[in-house]
Amino acid sequence: MSELRAAGRAYLAVARRDLLVFRSYRARFFSQAASTLFSLTLFYYVSRLVHVRGFSSPDAYYAFVVVGLSLLGVIYSCFAIPTLVRQELVAGTFERLILSPFGAVRGVIAMTLFPLLYAAVLAALSLALACAVFGLQLHWETVALSIPLMGLALLSFLPFGLLFAALTILIKQESVGTTWVVAVLSLIGGLYFPLSLLPHWLQVAGRLQPFTPATAVLRHVLVNSPLTEPLGLSLLKLSACAALLLPVSILTLAAAVRAGQRRATIIEY
Amino acid sequence: MTLLAPTAVARAPEADEPRGAISAAPGPPALALLRVSKRWRSGLAPVLDDVSLTLERGTRTWIGGRNGVGKTTLLRVAAGLIEPERGWVGARGITPRENRARYQRLVSLLAAGDRGLYARLSVRAHLDLCVRLAMMPRARLRPGVERAIDTFQLSQLAERRVDRLSMGQRQRLRVAMTFLPEPHVVLLDEPLTSLDTEGAALLAEASREVQVRGGAVLWCSPDGDRLPEGFDARWLLERGRLEAA
Repeated sequence: MSELRAAGRAYLAVARRDLLVFRSYRARFFSQAASTLFSLTLFYYVSRLVHVRGFSSPDAYYAFVVVGLSLLGVIYSCFAIPTLVRQELVAGTFERLILSPFGAVRGVIAMTLFPLLYAAVLAALSLALACAVFGLQLHWETVALSIPLMGLALLSFLPFGLLFAALTILIKQESVGTTWVVAVLSLIGGLYFPLSLLPHWLQVAGRLQPFTPATAVLRHVLVNSPLTEPLGLSLLKLSACAALLLPVSILTLAAAVRAGQRRATIIEY
Repeated sequence: MTLLAPTAVARAPEADEPRGAISAAPGPPALALLRVSKRWRSGLAPVLDDVSLTLERGTRTWIGGRNGVGKTTLLRVAAGLIEPERGWVGARGITPRENRARYQRLVSLLAAGDRGLYARLSVRAHLDLCVRLAMMPRARLRPGVERAIDTFQLSQLAERRVDRLSMGQRQRLRVAMTFLPEPHVVLLDEPLTSLDTEGAALLAEASREVQVRGGAVLWCSPDGDRLPEGFDARWLLERGRLEAA
């Protein structure tokens, strides 16, 4: 039990470290908030300009896209984990994690805490700004459900970041396709427009990953968008993804660290 | 040099076990490397060639040798950072392969150079992170940090960010982080880099304390010019093998 508590304190310590580093760059939050506001403004006027099939009004499309934009930041954070690992490798701080009782695998998982929580906060800020500035109507009866749903979504997204982190440890490059993956996911994950507008084969691809059901259920509880599949099925997909891929990604990460130690490439960057 | 039977087993300390006083009871040595070999690429000469080394409890050992001879590799293998191709490494009978977390509780490495710090974090934040990654019990977290600040005379620098420290001050912080978890075995790779006389004296005193409380220190540097007094053994690493200095 004392071991678990000590591990819990170590997780929090890594998250606190990231918070302290983040706070040391004072303009960063305001810069990101301004960028969020810019995106919200851009899509507000896009929603006024074009008529999107399947949406009853510009406001309906705007509500749709605002939730997509909010979730995009969370997806970016997941795929930024390899960048964080690469920074640690270059700075020599990754060695400290390996040589601590806490260990590299738990260290990498701990590194995801602050960025993911921060992305969730930025997502909430994005919704708040959309409400305050552009009159977005939230479905207040079910808004609270977005918190556990976001937690489930994060657990289903996290394995992808951890798998790319494992790859970074092995080949020492941070952006091995992550930019492309995020771009493709924003296309087939239904972030900007409904999947029904895409060719059939892309729709199939879109339904095979957790970002589409996560976006759909969050839209449903936040802005009352109609569901494209039964709610239970979407939740099952997210839960299955987290339950299956999370252990696989953690084991892969451990194997990558071990391979680096065996080949002595863990000290390279 | 003595060889250690690789089957020797000892009990490693629990997470919440006080480590201020290390057991001096007879048992496996503080650290042992048995017939360790490592080569960087097949076809190249091994950087470590069948090296055996035992650090008994309550001793300090120095290893010297030219640049690139393999001192850092030896320390990395001993620390559990990289694995040897052949051979056995254990601290108090525990190997990093059998129980990584316990091994890392026993052994602490000060890597050469000035890496391993966060530029935007303060000295205190580093020590605070270090003590938590070491998974020390809650009651010993704050006292541990305060003791490290006191021992290494960092109180004037405690709230200062690392990117505003001199190289010598950074090295003093790195040394403090190495000794902070109260390890049984301390591995030091060119620890005097950038340290002034005062910093070197603090390091010498800290390493002597590890020796006094039954731990072991392995100190590597190209030559033994500024080596403190009281070392029990001196070796030279040459062509992958250890020879008496």
